[in-house]
Amino acid sequence: MNRRNFLALTTALVALPHLALAQDRLTVVTSFSVLNDMVSQVGGDRIDVATLVDADEDAHMYQPTPADARSLSDANVVVVNGLGFEGWMDRLIEASGFAGSVIVAVDGIATRDMPEMEGHAGHDHGAFDPHGWQSLANARIYVANIAQGLSAADPAGAEVYAANADAYLAQIDATEAELQDLLAEVPQDRRTVVTSHDAFGYLGDAYGLTFLAPQGLSTESEASAADVATLITQIRAEDIAAVFLENVTDSRLVQQIAAETGATVGGTLYSDALSGPDGPAATYLEMMRHNVATLAAALKP
Amino acid sequence: MTHTSPKRSLLWATVALTGALTGALAMGAAAQENDQEDEVGLTHYRLFVGDHADNVVRAIELEDGADAGTFEIAQTPALTPSDSGRTLFAVQGDAGTVATIDTGIAFEDHGDHADISVTDAALLPATIDGTTPAHVIEGSGTIAIFDDGSGDVTLFSEGDLTTEGFAPATIPTGAAHHGLAAPMGDYLVVSVPAEDPEAPRVGLRVIDTAGNAVGEVVDCPGVHGQAQSARVFAFGCQDGIVLATPGAGAEPPVLEHISTTDLGEGNVSTLKGGKAMQFFLGNFGADAVVVIEPGSDDPFNVIPLPTRRVDFALDPAKAQNAYILTEDGQLHLLDVLKGEIIQSARVTAPYSMDGEWRDPRPRLAVAGDHIAITDPNAGLIRVISTATLEEERTIPVAGTPYTIVAVGGSGATD
Repeated sequence: MNRRNFLALTTALVALPHLALAQDRLTVVTSFSVLNDMVSQVGGDRIDVATLVDADEDAHMYQPTPADARSLSDANVVVVNGLGFEGWMDRLIEASGFAGSVIVAVDGIATRDMPEMEGHAGHDHGAFDPHGWQSLANARIYVANIAQGLSAADPAGAEVYAANADAYLAQIDATEAELQDLLAEVPQDRRTVVTSHDAFGYLGDAYGLTFLAPQGLSTESEASAADVATLITQIRAEDIAAVFLENVTDSRLVQQIAAETGATVGGTLYSDALSGPDGPAATYLEMMRHNVATLAAALKP
Repeated sequence: MTHTSPKRSLLWATVALTGALTGALAMGAAAQENDQEDEVGLTHYRLFVGDHADNVVRAIELEDGADAGTFEIAQTPALTPSDSGRTLFAVQGDAGTVATIDTGIAFEDHGDHADISVTDAALLPATIDGTTPAHVIEGSGTIAIFDDGSGDVTLFSEGDLTTEGFAPATIPTGAAHHGLAAPMGDYLVVSVPAEDPEAPRVGLRVIDTAGNAVGEVVDCPGVHGQAQSARVFAFGCQDGIVLATPGAGAEPPVLEHISTTDLGEGNVSTLKGGKAMQFFLGNFGADAVVVIEPGSDDPFNVIPLPTRRVDFALDPAKAQNAYILTEDGQLHLLDVLKGEIIQSARVTAPYSMDGEWRDPRPRLAVAGDHIAITDPNAGLIRVISTATLEEERTIPVAGTPYTIVAVGGSGATD
């Protein structure tokens, strides 16, 4: 091999990894199915995205596996909800040796305080409701955070991410108008409902609905007999019309409450996970439409 | 029974368990940061050591080696902590009793954080008495103690232990045998003895809380050893493992046998379950361990050891770490994700695995960034760094320190 050929070969070998990098798509791991859909919408064809907690699975109760840790170790970006929703994530990240960037989707929303957590034992722990995605206004902030985070990890794709985010935000706006229309016919005195766990506070704030739940903020908590008794009394006293099941929780408790109070079971709401591809909540926006349509159908006189 | 303990003031602290995501994960909530500005870090671990010769359990503060109580019982115990760490069960099979000890360290869960209280350790009045009580297994908020001498299972919740007139329920499971019972929701997974009580156990089955059989016996010859990880139980068999997965809703658990015969000579008879990741670590014969990943297409990864295993422990916080002590006195750090021993260090004199299985040999307990190892022949607890595997200090212990449990945690206080 003469010197010129050697130099040419060396240059080609050095250039190859850069070429490969330019063609590689960003590898993104999301914590749960709702984020996975949002990230897919914003990332489009520039990313490969996978979720840890799949459709119809409960992120509160999830226990990551060694395979999850290995998938994280190969990822460029991890997208989490935050506010303690994924209590298992910090240890998983530590175990995996993940060295990429973390996008906290909930960052910047107006958080809901949980009244029962305030002033506990003389100090406020600042516990917030993590289910921010249950409001479309919050979803706009989620999308902005995702677009910003992906652009930071992949500056060459910033324009694509911004354009995808804009298109998705337009869909969110259109959905917002649909939801307002759906609930317009529900009278003010029929806007209190019961669900299994406290996942719909942001939805309630956005649309003037009150959600009661025996189980608290996390599906991990157990409803006490006293809490259930209080709830049953309240359902009877306030003539609450409907109770709703959730796709990620055991339905027995809500079924029992319905049987004892005579309240109608209004259907299944999607709280912390999308449905499978053939279900009624296969995407985030389908989930929001399904939930509000289900509520409206049960609450309209 | 007597109890001596130094007086310690009640100390309340706020512990961020796993909810507060570190680094970039935590940046989302400015108000959360403000809440934590007033708080001061606190770490408190307490060790409980069963003596091999004297009939005592000693409580020792990890931080300074201070005496935290000596509890006289009837017999050298096997020690099992409750899942919460609030209670320690001192099983004295030949004496027909299980003593209960309040560890003095309790957490109160508040979702994204928990409060910790640190008080004196104390022997509780509650005991579980029987013929030969043995395995203590907790699941779904129920504690089950299997009595080898009767085949009965005693069931109770941790909270029951401090109620007046503690009277736990007992249900029969069949004939007396060296067995086990694992609570799973409204059901129990129990071992099934052979017709000949001296023959090895034949399998596992599900029963309801009245003792009625639900479904068929699943083969698990010689069933021995069990652990729980993420609500799944694993049981060791002479030819494989059985995984018990919770049923949907009110359905009974589902049992599945997975063969290990393709892995070569050896079997699983001791198991530990991952706390922060779903996996199990078991022995595979005397001189290998196996990482078990339920649900994986290739669930077993056998890792040979240089010599026979003395004891092993998982790190509850650093989920990828397991620590294995071998009879040459070496402590090995196993990376569970890679399935490789990535570091080894000599920490004790050799302890041969020849001789009686109950001879005094070291045992391990993980307490935060430390591994506490009993060294019975030296009359010490050796405190080893999880980061370097180097000995940080030793804690002299009276008698012959043997079984060991660590309880506690770290967090913040006002």
